[in-house]
Amino acid sequence: MPGEASKAAAIIGAAEANDIGYPATPKSSLTLHIEAINNVCKMTGIPIAAIDGIFSAGWSPQIAEYLGLHPKYIDTTAVGGCSFEMHVHHALAAIHAGVINVALVTHGEMGFSQRFTGGKGTGRPFGGGDPWDPGTQHTSAYGLGGAPTGYSHAMNRHMSRYGTTQEDFAEIAVVTREWATLNPRAVMYRKAGEGDLPPLEQGEWGGGKRGHTFGGPITVDTVMNSRPISWPIKLLDVCLVTDHGGAVLITGPEIAKTSKTPPVWIAGAGESISHWNMLEMPDFTETSAGRSASAAYRMAGMGPEDMEMAMIYDSFTVTAGITAEMLGLAPAGEGPALWKDRHAAPGGRLPINTNGGGLSFNHSGMYGMQLLVEAYRQLSGTAEDGGFSGDPGKQTSARSCIVNGTGGTLSTTGTLVLVSDD
Amino acid sequence: MAEYTKPIPSPDPVSQPFWDGAKEGKLMLPRCSDCNRVHWYPRVICPFCHSMNIDWVEATGKGTIHTFAVQNNRGLVARGWGDEVPYVTAYIDLAEGDRMLTVLKGVDPNDPDSIEIGAAVQIEFEEASEDVHIPFWRPV
Repeated sequence: MPGEASKAAAIIGAAEANDIGYPATPKSSLTLHIEAINNVCKMTGIPIAAIDGIFSAGWSPQIAEYLGLHPKYIDTTAVGGCSFEMHVHHALAAIHAGVINVALVTHGEMGFSQRFTGGKGTGRPFGGGDPWDPGTQHTSAYGLGGAPTGYSHAMNRHMSRYGTTQEDFAEIAVVTREWATLNPRAVMYRKAGEGDLPPLEQGEWGGGKRGHTFGGPITVDTVMNSRPISWPIKLLDVCLVTDHGGAVLITGPEIAKTSKTPPVWIAGAGESISHWNMLEMPDFTETSAGRSASAAYRMAGMGPEDMEMAMIYDSFTVTAGITAEMLGLAPAGEGPALWKDRHAAPGGRLPINTNGGGLSFNHSGMYGMQLLVEAYRQLSGTAEDGGFSGDPGKQTSARSCIVNGTGGTLSTTGTLVLVSDD
Repeated sequence: MAEYTKPIPSPDPVSQPFWDGAKEGKLMLPRCSDCNRVHWYPRVICPFCHSMNIDWVEATGKGTIHTFAVQNNRGLVARGWGDEVPYVTAYIDLAEGDRMLTVLKGVDPNDPDSIEIGAAVQIEFEEASEDVHIPFWRPV
């Protein structure tokens, strides 16, 4: 039986900023937020002034001030890329409790453009590691830095424990790229200069509507031959670094009826954490998604067998492979087989990462909002008709979707079970 | 002594006994006086039973490789380590329990298949500054 909060609220609209991926000129993270907020309010017909709860990864006070809003609920949970799935969980609870009526979950991040602004405009919601912080103190000597330098340890442990191979994980990148070739908004949609896409000018980055030097279909060999980053992780096991802005509105059933766009119901939600620094990770082949998914399924009164598609955070191929196991979609050690056996592929029984994923669609540093936007597009049936932005994508027939964000270094997880309107 | 150019940790009051031991080539670990379990990193409270009675014991300095990776990309690693790529980072299961991060010495980063998860390793300390000697591990 579903929990009391199940379907107490719905995502009534989801939109992105005007330019995502590799924009020609940088926009600040704040502007990316505001464009997406404006777009989602236009698409739903809910005025910005009606927003009375703001949920973001560190930005809520700035967003409220900038929009002249005085929200009754201010949430700045910033625990990595899964923050946005947690925001939906928190918004569901706040609406169910009667504290607020219209929740905004918002994201803006110039992951790509910051390289041209010297870091200006990013807002920097995260602080650096304090030298006395125990995690920092007992790991900093060994030089681990960018995210791949940690995740590679989990991939190696998975291979050692279960006999999975680098080729198995490469299949995840290959199938995910296949989805990206069906989505014109995806950075890796196709190679620049192919089809109706013009060749890139000197120094131009392209992405999305312009194509990418490395875009279009890839094979396992392409992944295996890409340069090593942190063995066993290679370049094509790693997500993109792009710009993104996105926003969703969440309301109870009464206001949902007034929206111009259909509701997608929050049937279940859960969140958890296993560690913050990877030094404290209990098991390198498991994440807390086992617990967050269990909570979400329980609230929904549904199980993995009821899921018709999945949006799984794929910062790296290993993130997606392990998470599929944690969500109960595959037995332990067999996550990558969902892709290898093409169940996750276009036309498969369980489409996964239909936008092309963080690997080939868009990943701005935190990818949780992109998961929400795509889940909404699929379950509201607006993926193929272009939705608000006029950009089409592949429409699946799925009516239920499990969404799982992962943050930190396989540390934090937020899981949602979303279902289409009856 | 040549100048140490890689990051040097900052001991804090909680971890000071560990760093004092390191200067003498000893691996000192925090242990709960109530449940007798060793934990890492050092805390003022036992993460297993939440007792605040923590003392320090000298450990064997023996462990096994839990997992490892080869750091190939100089742009992703911290200052000072860029010139060392490729190098091997590893998580070590301590003989006394719990786990440490390290850089493995005496292994071939260009042949990861020659490095074995589960292999026995032994601790050693490198003098980074007068006050801070950093633990590294090497296959036995």
